[in-house]
Amino acid sequence: MTCDKKAQKTMSPRSAGNAIANSLSRYRLSIARGLGTLDLIVAKEIRHNLFSYKFSIITVLTTILILASILMMYRDYGLARENYETLERLSSTPGGGAAVIPPTPLSIFVKGLDDNLCRSYEGGVNIEVSRKQQSVNKVFRLFTTPDLLYVIKVVLSLCAMLFAFDMVCGEKEAGTLRQSLSSSLGRPFLILGKWIGGFTSFIVPLFLAVLLGTAFVTLQPRVAMSPQDWARLGLFLLSSVIYLAVFFSLGLLISCLTHQASSALVVSLSVWTLLVFLIPNLGNILARELVEIPTVQQLEVAHTYNVERMMFERQRVDRSEFPKLLARATAESNQLAEDYRNRFNKLLAVSQNITRISPAAAFTFLATDIMGTGVAEERRLKSAVLQYIHTIGEWSGPKDSRPAFRYERSACRETLAQGGLGNLLILLLCGILLGTGAYVAFLRYDVR
Amino acid sequence: MLKATNAREIAGSLRSLKVVAAREFLDNLLNLRFITGLVLCLVVTVACIVILAHNYRSELADYSRRVNMQDDFLSHYATGDALVVTNRQQKPPERFRPLIVGIPPDETLKSFDDNPLPILFPPLDFLFIVTIIMSVLALLFSYDAVTGERQRGTLRLVISNSISRTTMLLGKFIGGTASLLIPFILALVVGVLYINLNPNIQWTASAWAELGLLAVASITFVTLFYLLGLMVSTFSRYSAVSILNCLFVWVLLILAIPNLAPYISAQVYHIPSINEMERRFEEMERDSLKLAGQRNAEVTKDFQRRYGKLFAELEAMGDAGSGRQKAAQQRAATDPELRAMLEAFRDAQRQATKPIFDARTEAEKRLRQDLETQAARQTRLAKVLACLSPLADFTYVARDLTGTGLRALEHFERISGRYQREVRTYAAMKMQEERQKDPTLGRDSLIDLSNRPRFAFAEEALKDKLRQVLPCWGVLVAYNIVFFVAAFAGFMRYDVR
Repeated sequence: MTCDKKAQKTMSPRSAGNAIANSLSRYRLSIARGLGTLDLIVAKEIRHNLFSYKFSIITVLTTILILASILMMYRDYGLARENYETLERLSSTPGGGAAVIPPTPLSIFVKGLDDNLCRSYEGGVNIEVSRKQQSVNKVFRLFTTPDLLYVIKVVLSLCAMLFAFDMVCGEKEAGTLRQSLSSSLGRPFLILGKWIGGFTSFIVPLFLAVLLGTAFVTLQPRVAMSPQDWARLGLFLLSSVIYLAVFFSLGLLISCLTHQASSALVVSLSVWTLLVFLIPNLGNILARELVEIPTVQQLEVAHTYNVERMMFERQRVDRSEFPKLLARATAESNQLAEDYRNRFNKLLAVSQNITRISPAAAFTFLATDIMGTGVAEERRLKSAVLQYIHTIGEWSGPKDSRPAFRYERSACRETLAQGGLGNLLILLLCGILLGTGAYVAFLRYDVR
Repeated sequence: MLKATNAREIAGSLRSLKVVAAREFLDNLLNLRFITGLVLCLVVTVACIVILAHNYRSELADYSRRVNMQDDFLSHYATGDALVVTNRQQKPPERFRPLIVGIPPDETLKSFDDNPLPILFPPLDFLFIVTIIMSVLALLFSYDAVTGERQRGTLRLVISNSISRTTMLLGKFIGGTASLLIPFILALVVGVLYINLNPNIQWTASAWAELGLLAVASITFVTLFYLLGLMVSTFSRYSAVSILNCLFVWVLLILAIPNLAPYISAQVYHIPSINEMERRFEEMERDSLKLAGQRNAEVTKDFQRRYGKLFAELEAMGDAGSGRQKAAQQRAATDPELRAMLEAFRDAQRQATKPIFDARTEAEKRLRQDLETQAARQTRLAKVLACLSPLADFTYVARDLTGTGLRALEHFERISGRYQREVRTYAAMKMQEERQKDPTLGRDSLIDLSNRPRFAFAEEALKDKLRQVLPCWGVLVAYNIVFFVAAFAGFMRYDVR
């Protein structure tokens, strides 16, 4: 008897192996079954969305806006190139001493601060900045630039939320949600399927429109994109997908927290307004109040009178004193500028810290940095310009042999290392948190 | 008797209208969107006005500092040149800055050290709150005014009574806009109260009048979007479809049209590129210099023939330039014959080349004027196209009424120009006065400038501003009428089942 019991208690290695194999195959089977169910739900969501009115209207809207934006910004790029050619020619000979860089073709997609970057800088006691405007069309200054960044940041984020806000509560109101869950369909698979199906049906038409626009731009002879530019564009599009996924997840979360589509809509629109407009724009003016920094007009007045003082005193002293006067004026001017720059760096840091809680602000900083039209690039260019002006100033040889200004916009890796990665991680973290929130909220959702 | 019947009918309609409007009003008040709208409006408007009022205080201090710097400079280096060349007119911050942030003047675009953040993130102000937040809120209040009732089944119950469709629609409009305007007006009152209690902000009667007009213009804008939502609702069967259509139109009107208008106008009216203009100017300069060189050569030949040896001596002093000029001046001081010939030569050169340079200046001026005319045409078209969007109309109305737009910048430039001319006249007169006392006085000598004219910035008169904004305001009112008529037409044909 004891031997039988012992035999029962200890399993032979073979039977243990069989048990493990059985449980593994059951596990694999359940995964396969689950994936098959997921596959069905995703397919159902995509089919349902493709024939829905919201899909058609959002597709039409985004296609028109994206193509119009790329077309308009391409023309704007053409004008910027003409301005650059004029400025370069006007800064005369190769050793002319003026620093000017060409506009980047990526400004067609993300304009950012490219206008500021492409001004011409010439040294002196105060640095002279000139810009050539093709048109005195002042209406440009009243409204924002309609580049792809703006379309994605404002319009597409709204569309993403509109796509997702009634995915759960809308189905609940229609009564189909309880029917789906009354079968052996698991909630995790349902919510995951909805997310994948919904997001795929939202993002694919957008991508097609962007590809069409990009194809148009690259076929133009005036636009020459290097492999580095293509890599940047790819990275920008990837970050746009992550950004839109954040808003899609947010829309889905709101849908899982409300029981009526009308309430979900109100909450979605309020949250969208808060995240896309209020936090970034209000945050910036708040930062301006928290950091003490003189206005640009005050700085200009201080610079002007510094120079005027020097010119005045020059007429009253001996010729031998001129270099001393010039050196004093230059030192004072540099002191003013350095003080301003330190304060501005502080303002930028405070502004970024306040506004980063909004994915829209993090996305703006990330996109402009990736495309080389951001604040980081501007600071880098200005340091390079200062160094160049200093070199030209110290140049002892003949004027004709002075070196020309050479500048390469920062590489992707450098951009990400400097703070771009932080913004990318914020977007990813937001997306993961909101997605997880939607998942958890749906597990506890009352579907009746 | 007919009159009494009519009067009874009218009274009855008014009673029904009052009932429908009150019901719509109370229905909205108890809705989530009202609470959300109220909280959003109050929090955002108050936060925005508090921060901007603080910003206005710093801007005012900054402006005083700049004016003091100028006065300080002139007190130490009071020369006629300093007054004319360096005394740049400082623009004070706009008195409506606590509500609407103005457009930065041109000089800030030419500074090496500047603040580019507002390019990436435009500042949030009252204009923004009305155009973005209130317009979305208005659509939220009205998108399901008709479709929602139809889906709930209450629409057919109401219509089956003796309430006419006209009364129904009017009642919805009155009740809906009344409930929508409560958060807006409350937020505005709180904000204005804060401004009023702030000692740094002193508004005159005209400023309060402008504020009143701004509030009325804002209400026109908000009711426009309510009527848009109502109109779309009367053309849809389901609320889900209605909101999508509303937001589609909203994106086109608010985000797409104003931003694309300048680019479309640039496409329609081509103006010569900057390259072409520079090339033309260079060509003109080259041609005029070539022609002037030819004339100078003719004059030189003529003088060589007339003066022979004496002219050859002048040429021997070196090439035409400052070197020869100095040597010639020294010789001319002792040799009257050479001096006479030199003066005659200079006169002849001037007479030969003056018409050429005058013609060149005239041609350049004509070219610049042409460019300005074409650019003005382009700007006008851009403005007309942009005014298809209610956002652009309201932006022009609000900015021009409060002196925070492009018109204000042009007004400032005009006043600055006038002041600059006044200063030049004063400087010339002062120099003359001082030279009478001391003939050796130079341009860089110190003079007493204590009674110089001071720059005083005065806002444009309200009636001029009003005349300017009436067309855009008229477009907003026209949109209101069009949307209401369309909503009316849609509702008359609406299937309420």
